[in-house]
Amino acid sequence: MSLADLRLFEMRHVAGLGPLCEIMAERAALGAPVTLLAGGTDWVVEQELRPPLEVAAGGPAAPPLVVDVSRLSDLRGISLSGDTLRVGAATTYLEMLRSDAIAARAPLLARMSRDVGAVQIQARGTLGGNLATASPAADGVAALAAYDATVVVQSVRGERRIPMSALQTGYKRTSRAPDEVIVAVEIALPAPGSPWYWRKIGARRAQAISKVALAGVAEVRSGRAARLGLGMASVAPTTALLPSVRALCVSRPLAELTGAEVDAAVAQDISPIDDVRSTRGYREHCARGVVRELLRQLGAQV
Amino acid sequence: MATSPPASASTVGRSVPRTDGPPKVTGASRYVDDIPAMPGEIFGRTVRSPVPRGILRGVRLDPAFDWSDVTVVLAEDVPVNVVALILDDQPILATGKVNHAYEPIVLLGCADRLKLARAVQAVALDIDPLPPVLDARAALDGGEIIWGADNVIKRYLITHGCADAARERGEASEAAIDAALARCEVVVTGTYASHHQEQLYIEPQGVIAWWDEAGAHATGSIQCPFYVHKAFLKAFGLPPDRIHITQSVTGGGFGGKEEYPSIIALHAALLARKSGRPVRMIYDRTEDIEATTKRHPASCEITSGCDRDGALRALKIRILMDGGAYATLTQVVLSRGALHAAGAYRWDDVWIEAAAVATNTPPNGAFRGFGAPQTIWAIERHLDRVARELGCDPLDLKAKNVLRPGDSTATGQVLRVSVAGEECITRAIAASGYRQKRAAGPVVRGRVARGIGLSVFMHGAGFTGSGERYYKGKVALDLAPGGRLRIRTASTDIGQGTETVFRQIAADAAGLPLDRVEFAVPCTTTVPDSGPTVASRTVMVVGSIVEAAARELASRVRAEQAGQEPGAGEGDGGAAAGPPALSFEEAADRLLAREGQVTSLKQYEPPDYVRWDDEAYKGDAYPCFGWACDVVEVEVDLDTFEVTVVDFWSATDVGKAIHPVMCKGQIEGGSLQAIGWALSEEIVWQGGRIKNPRMTNYIIPTSLDAPPFHVVLVEEPFPFGPGGGAKGIGEMPMDGGAPAVAAAIEHATGIAARALPLTPERLLEAAWSAGRGERL
Amino acid sequence: MKVSLVVNGSPREVDLPPLSRLLDALRGPLGLTGTKEGCAEGECGACTVLLDGDPVNACLVAIGQCEGRRVTTVEGLACAGHLSPLQRCFVEEGGAQCGICTPGMLLSAEALLARSPDPSELEVREALAGNLCRCTGYQRIVESVRAAAALRRGGGGAAP
Repeated sequence: MSLADLRLFEMRHVAGLGPLCEIMAERAALGAPVTLLAGGTDWVVEQELRPPLEVAAGGPAAPPLVVDVSRLSDLRGISLSGDTLRVGAATTYLEMLRSDAIAARAPLLARMSRDVGAVQIQARGTLGGNLATASPAADGVAALAAYDATVVVQSVRGERRIPMSALQTGYKRTSRAPDEVIVAVEIALPAPGSPWYWRKIGARRAQAISKVALAGVAEVRSGRAARLGLGMASVAPTTALLPSVRALCVSRPLAELTGAEVDAAVAQDISPIDDVRSTRGYREHCARGVVRELLRQLGAQV
Repeated sequence: MATSPPASASTVGRSVPRTDGPPKVTGASRYVDDIPAMPGEIFGRTVRSPVPRGILRGVRLDPAFDWSDVTVVLAEDVPVNVVALILDDQPILATGKVNHAYEPIVLLGCADRLKLARAVQAVALDIDPLPPVLDARAALDGGEIIWGADNVIKRYLITHGCADAARERGEASEAAIDAALARCEVVVTGTYASHHQEQLYIEPQGVIAWWDEAGAHATGSIQCPFYVHKAFLKAFGLPPDRIHITQSVTGGGFGGKEEYPSIIALHAALLARKSGRPVRMIYDRTEDIEATTKRHPASCEITSGCDRDGALRALKIRILMDGGAYATLTQVVLSRGALHAAGAYRWDDVWIEAAAVATNTPPNGAFRGFGAPQTIWAIERHLDRVARELGCDPLDLKAKNVLRPGDSTATGQVLRVSVAGEECITRAIAASGYRQKRAAGPVVRGRVARGIGLSVFMHGAGFTGSGERYYKGKVALDLAPGGRLRIRTASTDIGQGTETVFRQIAADAAGLPLDRVEFAVPCTTTVPDSGPTVASRTVMVVGSIVEAAARELASRVRAEQAGQEPGAGEGDGGAAAGPPALSFEEAADRLLAREGQVTSLKQYEPPDYVRWDDEAYKGDAYPCFGWACDVVEVEVDLDTFEVTVVDFWSATDVGKAIHPVMCKGQIEGGSLQAIGWALSEEIVWQGGRIKNPRMTNYIIPTSLDAPPFHVVLVEEPFPFGPGGGAKGIGEMPMDGGAPAVAAAIEHATGIAARALPLTPERLLEAAWSAGRGERL
Repeated sequence: MKVSLVVNGSPREVDLPPLSRLLDALRGPLGLTGTKEGCAEGECGACTVLLDGDPVNACLVAIGQCEGRRVTTVEGLACAGHLSPLQRCFVEEGGAQCGICTPGMLLSAEALLARSPDPSELEVREALAGNLCRCTGYQRIVESVRAAAALRRGGGGAAP
């Protein structure tokens, strides 16, 4: 389409988060947004699908400034302190797959990462990029939703911590301000060995965009869900957090839940559509199915 | 593991390292877009119709845009505005009316890609939309006429037995078949549909064209250089020797680069002619999916009659294919589809009526299998239903009725040679453990059900009917210095291994080591027209010409040897017994020095017995058939209806495997294309436009989706095939995958699908309508 | 923007707009046309190269992101004119048919074998899942990679 436009873009590199925040503030004040480029697995494809940049009378419109953050050390690294896992925004899926800390304490993140595209996408795609793009189909975002992660953003105004439930404000829209940089995500980990669930339903086993994906994190004590986090992809304009399902499942012993009420809660929490990848009916069916499967693994008889 | 043979050993039947292997694994091969820019070269783009049907009132170039360095080609710039193929109904650039979305209307050329992208935006098309006909059934009903007098591109009628007798008496053949069906003990009726398929070669279409004092040149990703040559003859009115079409290394074709490249090459050449510069035209993936040909969707209505014991008696089929907006190769695709519609089985009475209609969708065209996969899908699914009706396993029904030597096909062709249906069934069943698994199944573990299914099929090798007699394919073999042979043929290697296999055939026929044989780049200026690289004819037909030419050349050299040294041993390429014999090389060089050029130009002669009546559509439709039995084991997730093909067995009769690894590669690759067609590949249409023209959304299998393939090569030689009996193999693997997958899904779930594709969404709907959906 | 990078072991410099794709830098000024373009959206893997040892789609990487990085393309696999074990096995086992996916396939396989000298069939399939092939059905490719792994373990040539 308009890949030829790419040569018009300016790219800057920054030495650290400080200078980056300054550029962001400066450009935000001008009303000229900055594109933070990490893996490019979404953004470059979007450029191809856009019509060519408008040609103004005096020449091409100024394209947005691109800042390369793919190797910005302030946005990288995986660290575990106590029961808190911190993953830098520019961490790739491949880095998560290779992390001992994640394998030991957040296996859901590792398992989900294996299902992202294939190795070429895993090597480039980043958690922060996924959060910023805010596609409802994003596998990584569904997993973070299940952990009820906190997104750490930074600007010259300071640090702000956004819970997953407040991040997405609409289809591919977030509450991140134009001058804010996603720095990291923080996860309050469940007890070691806690049950987790990941199931991605796509059109093929790799290089697939979810038709439905469900991530779940739980702590079960004496038959009750003491903690239940859920994130579902591709069933709503935003990543679905399934609040009704969560509320239902922590309200009573798991064994007392009925399939019908679980299905009803799922129906309340999702609003899937027919699109080129699947149908509303199929997505509704699969959403019910994966939620029930998850609950069965936790001891429910649904 | 394949190894290099000793220098003088015969290589036919051995998997030698492929000739084009080293350049392909080092990145040295030059595909069209790898060819360095020529001086002054510009890029070409196409402006296409956004609507599927309309009156084209005009083209407006934005006056605010600087067109000074942009070449614009309109229909009026085209000398003869016809894409020459069969019916000449397709314009090179639309004029007056638009018949499908993405139809080309304007060509633009510019040295700057960015400016070119903007120039495309600066063209406004003035089109009054008309109501489109988007469905074959609607086209057949003829409410809106969009093609010819009645939208029908072609019809065929094939009759056998009582229907044929009625036809000869001038009576209604349909009434005769209906009467025959009425006499049968068990009558089953069903309709089976199949959908578009995109070839999705990984290298998109591309051509570089230029003009010079020698005339017009085009080099590109082309299966059939002489098709493009023919198209240039018509469009530009040039003499044949002023047109030079060269194949560059081609990144897959599967039929998609059979006839379509004529269009992109014409477009590039038109831009080159007007701009006076070389033009590089490489489609991006979206344009490639939107604009190029697809597999014809087809619907087959089948009524069959058989005895209680399963003996098949009467068969009535109505085939309807969607040709898209222009005829392309539709009539030939329809013909092959109709000729394969009765399957690999004996029937007493047959009546097959086939029609292809035009719709306002992009033209459909050649795709591996060429109509046969669509009709074989139908007959195989139908026989699975008949088996269920009879209470027997489909295997028993199919094995009982599979054609044997001496049997007649639906066109009255008596099968004399190279018949291997039974053998393929036996071998596939043994390899797969079908009977035990079928009896034990479906095995359900948790949410996953496992099932197994099979398909039996045959595929006509080579052109249909009189095709080879009409084409008179030719090959030239030259003697080159040092006792080497050079093959000159229009048969292209697009990945299937033509180059290697032809060298093997020639080397063996000449009694020379493999490294003495070269393969010339196919260029219409330097190679004879061997006929197109299609129809699974390359090895069987063209390979046999190569073989004959190589034999002839070698015997001339050996006569030269013998003339020097009477009584010298024959067939010894190296040191002859007894000095001072002339070696093969010396004799060859002497011959070459004396004659200047030593060439054997041979033309294909079909076997004498081949008799075909094009009027009645009767007789020997093909010189022979390839045979196969596919067995597929699947796992179906009963919650989500995701299907995993866990194992795939194929026993395939290739006559003679000249290069076993390549044969297996063809069978495995074709089978996976069939699996993709069955399970995930789908063109999603909306108002005549494609909603998923990207690799992200047109889903072909990855390595994780592909099953392990277990291929059994069956060799039932065709006496007229090269290398000891080789037959065609290229297309057949496309035929059996879909019905075998469907049969396995049916075994696992009870869902008897009759329409492709078998996506989870459709399987779920089928389960719901059968009242088996909410199994949670 | 001037970018210095190491391509197939040699330091190279390109001067291109920073958002130019690594794919275009390789195929254009660097003259390495072995890396192919099949989809321009990171879907087919035909443009796979190794970036600091990991497979990436060169159509999604901006050249401006490549300063100081190591890039391996198919042209860097053979050593002094000798095919690597992987390349040899692709030729011998039928891993390449039309060949357009082969360069990317080889690099994904190379990255796998560098980390996993004796991969299972599933590991091979997973490592190659980002490289679409339309010719082979993948069977011969998987066999080529496993044969190469055996060859390398048997000292049949070191990785370049």
